[in-house]
Amino acid sequence: MGEVIVITSGKGGVGKTTTTANLGVGLALAEKKVVLIDADIGLRNLDVVMGLENRIVYDLVDVVEGRCRTKQALIRDKRYHNLFLLPAAQTRDKNAVSPEQMKKLCQELKEEYDFILVDCPAGIEQGFRNAIAGADQALIVTTPEVSAVRDADRIIGLVEAGEIKMSRLIINRLRPDMVKRGDMLDIDDILEILAIELIGVVPDDEKIIISTNRGEPVAALNDGSPSGKAYRNIVRRLLGETVPFLDFYKNQSFLSRLKRIIGLS
Amino acid sequence: MRKYAVEFKGTKDGVIIFCLEDADFSEILSDLQERLQKRADFFGDADVKVDVGRRELSTEEKKALQDVIANNSRLHLSAILNSGKSKLLSASSAGRQRKNELQLEGFRENRSLVIRKTLRSGQYIRFPGDVVVMGDVNPGAEIVADGDIYVFGALRGIAHAGAAGDKSALVVALRLVPTQLRIADVISRSPDNSTLPDRPEYAYISDQRIMIAAIPVK
Ligand SMILES: Nc1ncnc2c1ncn2[C@@H]1O[C@H](COP(=O)(O)OP(=O)(O)OP(=O)(O)O)[C@@H](O)[C@H]1O
Ligand SMILES: [Mg+2]
Repeated sequence: MGEVIVITSGKGGVGKTTTTANLGVGLALAEKKVVLIDADIGLRNLDVVMGLENRIVYDLVDVVEGRCRTKQALIRDKRYHNLFLLPAAQTRDKNAVSPEQMKKLCQELKEEYDFILVDCPAGIEQGFRNAIAGADQALIVTTPEVSAVRDADRIIGLVEAGEIKMSRLIINRLRPDMVKRGDMLDIDDILEILAIELIGVVPDDEKIIISTNRGEPVAALNDGSPSGKAYRNIVRRLLGETVPFLDFYKNQSFLSRLKRIIGLS
Repeated sequence: MRKYAVEFKGTKDGVIIFCLEDADFSEILSDLQERLQKRADFFGDADVKVDVGRRELSTEEKKALQDVIANNSRLHLSAILNSGKSKLLSASSAGRQRKNELQLEGFRENRSLVIRKTLRSGQYIRFPGDVVVMGDVNPGAEIVADGDIYVFGALRGIAHAGAAGDKSALVVALRLVPTQLRIADVISRSPDNSTLPDRPEYAYISDQRIMIAAIPVK
């Protein structure tokens, strides 16, 4: 039985789609059968990031409305034969899918695939509720900005109130130089507020922008780039391995550690 | 409603019997006897202290008290107290108080809501009593309570105690760094560059202003 993981954030533009694409590639490299669902209906772009835009025939709405079989809508990745994309509809709105339909689809995909990653739209409206409906776990993406952290907190509260059994945090676009100067929230500051388990920290890296434009997620580039390494570490943690954090992110504050131990959060 | 001459209060060290200030000693004895008979099984063989308030008891009166307890229950009388300070008002003399309510300084009975998790941004609690949070109250979360608010964690959101107008309400937190604090109709916000305090604090109203004081911890 596979695991459905929704990638969500509240605030827009913090890196949900980039994260989904990179973790998908990373899991595929680890020999897992993976489906990426673009649940950002009306604003699809996971297909672009994956470089698969020109292969779309059917989409998520076609599947839930029964216009095609699920298999027909899945697009196989160019490079990884065990990685598939279920694209979002471009011309419909987010109410075109219901939470029940999403649950049923996830249930069906779980029978055959190891990981189903759902790229969630920004916001807390219907599109968000649909995207999280079938998920077993959530990865909450935030950037080290007060407003993004605030929205992540809101999302964690909503996710906790639902059926999702585990949510973990990804801090994206960290700039160690800015943190050092005191111009950016530190990992400690963020964990202090959000108090959920950290699964990864991805540095701000121009390679991501370059690779996104090329439709080649960085995890594929085994070139030792810090962002590629960060994504591969997240993948290993998703697979249950204990991987130490890269050195600039290991010092978790005593308070947040203590809190997790006594289960206050 | 019938007026009692004594009040029973269970504490973790046993039972305390308070004698109301305006009751005759004979009333106290007869009321005590009657109520002990009814409730002897409930109290079992706990220790009991009798607080006679400001009365000076004679040796015979003390003996009479002892006898009533020994003859009507299995309670052990461990002390007779003179708490001249405790303001014990019987129902009839408590003009301002609710009927039959035991008013002891520092004691307050109220409904409470206990939340055993962190309140996150966007979460809102409104409760007509005290609110206790075992966790944090994050920025963007809000608690409105008619009574006190106690946070066993960091209070970073908005807290409004005494929302129905009680100016004696308190806001207490292990780390008190609220976005905004309100008690009754007084509002204050934290300074724009406030840092995390390193010890528990509480907020209260004094002179129409919200004051903050540290709670001494040894
Ligand atoms: N770690 C990073 N370093 C540099 N750029 C990044 C990083 N992560 C994301 N970006 C860039 O930020 C932009 C937004 O990322 P992305 O589209 O993944 O966000 P999103 O959360 O999916 O946005 P939306 O809410 O609109 O769906 C993209 O241009 C992406 O290339
Ligand atoms: Mg996106």
